[in-house]
Amino acid sequence: MSSFLSKQLPMAVAFFAGFVMIVAFFSGNAFISWFSQQQLKWITIVGGFALLLGVASITRVSLAHVRQRKTNWPYKVVLLAFLTVSSVFAIFQGTEQGTVYDWLFQNMNAPMMSTMFSMLAFFIASAAYRAFRARTLEATILLITATIVMLGRVPLGRAIFSYLPQVTDWIMNYPNLSVQRGIIIGAALGAASMSLRIILGIERTYLGRS
Amino acid sequence: MSESLVNFLQVSVAGFLTLCIFSFLYKDNPFYRLAEHIYAGLSAGYYVGLIWHAVILQQLWMPITRDGEYTLLIPGIMGVLLFTRLTEKLSYVSRVSIAFVMGNTAGISIMQQLHGYVLPQTGDTISGLLGAGSWFATLGAWIIFVGVISTLIYFYFSKEHRGIFGATARVGIVFIMISFGAHFGYTVMGRVSLLIGRIRFLMFDCVDSFKHLIN
Amino acid sequence: MASRFLRIITNIDRRVIYAAVSLSVVAPLIFKFPMPISISPETVTLYERVEAIPDSSTIILTFDYYPSTLAETEPMSIAALNQCWRKDLKIITLSTVGLGGPSIADRVMATMAEQFGKVYGVDYVNLGYKANYQAVLLGLGKSIRSIYPTDFYGTPLDSIPIMRGIDNYEGVEFIFIVSDNTIVDFWVGLVNAQYGTEMGAGVTAVMAPKFYAYVRADQLVGLLGGMKGAAEYEELVGAVGMATTGMGAQSMVHLMIIFFIIMGNIAYFIGRREK
Repeated sequence: MSSFLSKQLPMAVAFFAGFVMIVAFFSGNAFISWFSQQQLKWITIVGGFALLLGVASITRVSLAHVRQRKTNWPYKVVLLAFLTVSSVFAIFQGTEQGTVYDWLFQNMNAPMMSTMFSMLAFFIASAAYRAFRARTLEATILLITATIVMLGRVPLGRAIFSYLPQVTDWIMNYPNLSVQRGIIIGAALGAASMSLRIILGIERTYLGRS
Repeated sequence: MSESLVNFLQVSVAGFLTLCIFSFLYKDNPFYRLAEHIYAGLSAGYYVGLIWHAVILQQLWMPITRDGEYTLLIPGIMGVLLFTRLTEKLSYVSRVSIAFVMGNTAGISIMQQLHGYVLPQTGDTISGLLGAGSWFATLGAWIIFVGVISTLIYFYFSKEHRGIFGATARVGIVFIMISFGAHFGYTVMGRVSLLIGRIRFLMFDCVDSFKHLIN
Repeated sequence: MASRFLRIITNIDRRVIYAAVSLSVVAPLIFKFPMPISISPETVTLYERVEAIPDSSTIILTFDYYPSTLAETEPMSIAALNQCWRKDLKIITLSTVGLGGPSIADRVMATMAEQFGKVYGVDYVNLGYKANYQAVLLGLGKSIRSIYPTDFYGTPLDSIPIMRGIDNYEGVEFIFIVSDNTIVDFWVGLVNAQYGTEMGAGVTAVMAPKFYAYVRADQLVGLLGGMKGAAEYEELVGAVGMATTGMGAQSMVHLMIIFFIIMGNIAYFIGRREK
C-alpha cells in the first residue's frame, strides 16, 4: 500500500477542502465563492454514493449469510428479495406517486417504521414503573419535573390545575433552556476543535486502520 | 379492480405488517422477524431508488450529457472509489473520497459551531443581565445565566469539583436534573403520540376500508 | 396485608402495563371527549410570523422527517399548509431526510393541493432529496440550481414557473422547518446565521426541549413541540386534525404512566421501610 495514497494524499485533500470552506466564509472573492460552491455540490454527490455503499454492504453480508446457510438464512432471502424488487421498480418505473416503489414505501415501509418506534411507548411505560425511583434528591427533582411536564403538556393537566401549562412553560424556558444552552455551547466548542484537528491532520481515525 | 378493493388490500397489507411488528411485545417470533427483514430490505431498496434518481441521474448523468459539465466526473469517480472499501486490498483507495467529505464537513463545521451557536447563544445569555425590560425578565436572564455557567462547570471534568467550583457544579446538577426531567416528559409525550398514530390506523383506517368494501 | 400489597405492586407483569397503556389510548379514541387546549407562546409567535408574511410570497416548507414520526410531524405539515395556502403563499418543499422524506412530501403536498386547488409548478414545487444535508443547506444559499438541477421528478428548475427568479435564500421570505432530527440545528447554525433568513420549526417532542434555546436567541421565531404543538397550531389555524383528536388519548396515557411511576415508588418506599 502506497503511503502517499493512503496517508499523505488524503490528509492533503482534507486540509485543502476544509481550508477552502473556511476561506469562503470570510472572503467575498468570486473565484473562492465559485470553487467552494463546486465543493459543496461535489460532496452532495459523493454523499449519495456513500449511502449506496451502505446498501452494497448489507447486500454482501446477507448474501454471505444465505450462501453459508447460517441460522435464519431464509429471512435474508426475504430481505434481498424486497431490496431487489424495490430497487428494480425504482430504476425502471420511477419513484413518484403511483409507482410500485412508492406503493411499497407508503403501504409497507412507512407503517412498519412507524410501528417500530411506537412500541417505545410501551417500553418507556414499563421502564418508568420499574426504574423511576425517588432514591436521591437529584432523582426526586427529575421525577417531579417529569411529572409536571407530562401533565402540563396535555389538556388534562390544565383541567387538574389551571396554571400547570404556565408552570411547564416556565420550566422549559428557564431551567431547561439554560441547560440546553450550556450543552449547545460546550458541544459546539468541542465540535469546532475536533474539526480543526481534522483539517490539520491531527485527527486521522476516520481514515481507518493504517 | 374496484377502488375500495384496492384500498382494502393496501390497508390490509399495512395492517398485517403493523400487527407483525406489534407481536414483538409478546415475544420474539417468526412474524416479527419476517416483518423486520422486509423492512430492512425495503429501506435499503428505497435508498437505491432515491440515489439512482436524485444523484446519479439528476446530479451526474443529466448535467454531464445535457450541459457538458464534465467536472462532475471528479465527484463521480470519488463516489465510485468509495466502493473499494468492500475489498480488503484496495480499501485504502477510498480514503481520498472520505478525506474530501471529512475536510469539507470540518471546514463548514468550524464556522457553523462558532458563528452559528457559540456567539449567538453566549450573546443572548449575557445581553439581558443588566436589564431586560422588566424586573421579571431580568430575573429570568440571571436564572439562565446561572444555569448556563453551572451546567458548563458541571461538565468540565479537567478540574476536581471542590470549593466554589464544586458548589457551582452542584447548582448545575439541579438545573440538569430539571432539564432531563423535562426531556423525559417530552420523550414520553413523543412516544405516546406515535403509538396513538398506529392504534388510530388499526382502529379507524383498517375498519373503514373494510366497511367501504362491504358497502 | 402491607406485604401482600407490596408483592402485587412490585410484581406487575410488563404485559399488564402494555395492556393498560393500550386501553388508555383506545378508550379516549372511541369515547371522544372534548379537551380544551392551552396554547404555548412559542406556537403563537410562529403562527403570527407566518400570518405576517405578505400574501403570494415564496416560502420553504421542509419535510425533514422519517415515516417513524408521522403521527407527530404530518399534522404540523398539514396545519402549516392550511395556513400558507389560505394566504396563497408559494411553497418550495425539500427534504434532507433520505428514507421517506421526499415520498412523504410528494403525498402530503398532492393531497393538500387537491383540497386547495393548487397547481404543481405554479403554486408549489417538490425539490426532493440530495445527500449530505450540511452541504445542501449551505449550497442553497448561493445557488439552488447548482445543488438541485431538477425537481424530484427530474424536471429542470428553469422550466418550473415558481422557481423563476429564485436561486437562493434571498427570494425566500420564510423557512418553515418540520423535522424529527437535529437538522434544525443546521438550518439555524448555517442558514439563519449566515444568510439571515427567518425560520420557525415544528419538531417532535423528543427534540423540542433543546430548541427553546434558539427561540430565545431569536434564531427561531417559534416552535411547535410534538403532537401537542401540532394540536396547538391546528387550533390557531382553525383546522382541527389528527393532532387535536389525539389529545384525549395523550392525556390518558400520561396519567397512566404517572400512576405506574407512583405505584413503583410506593413499592420502593414500603420495601425500604420493611428492610
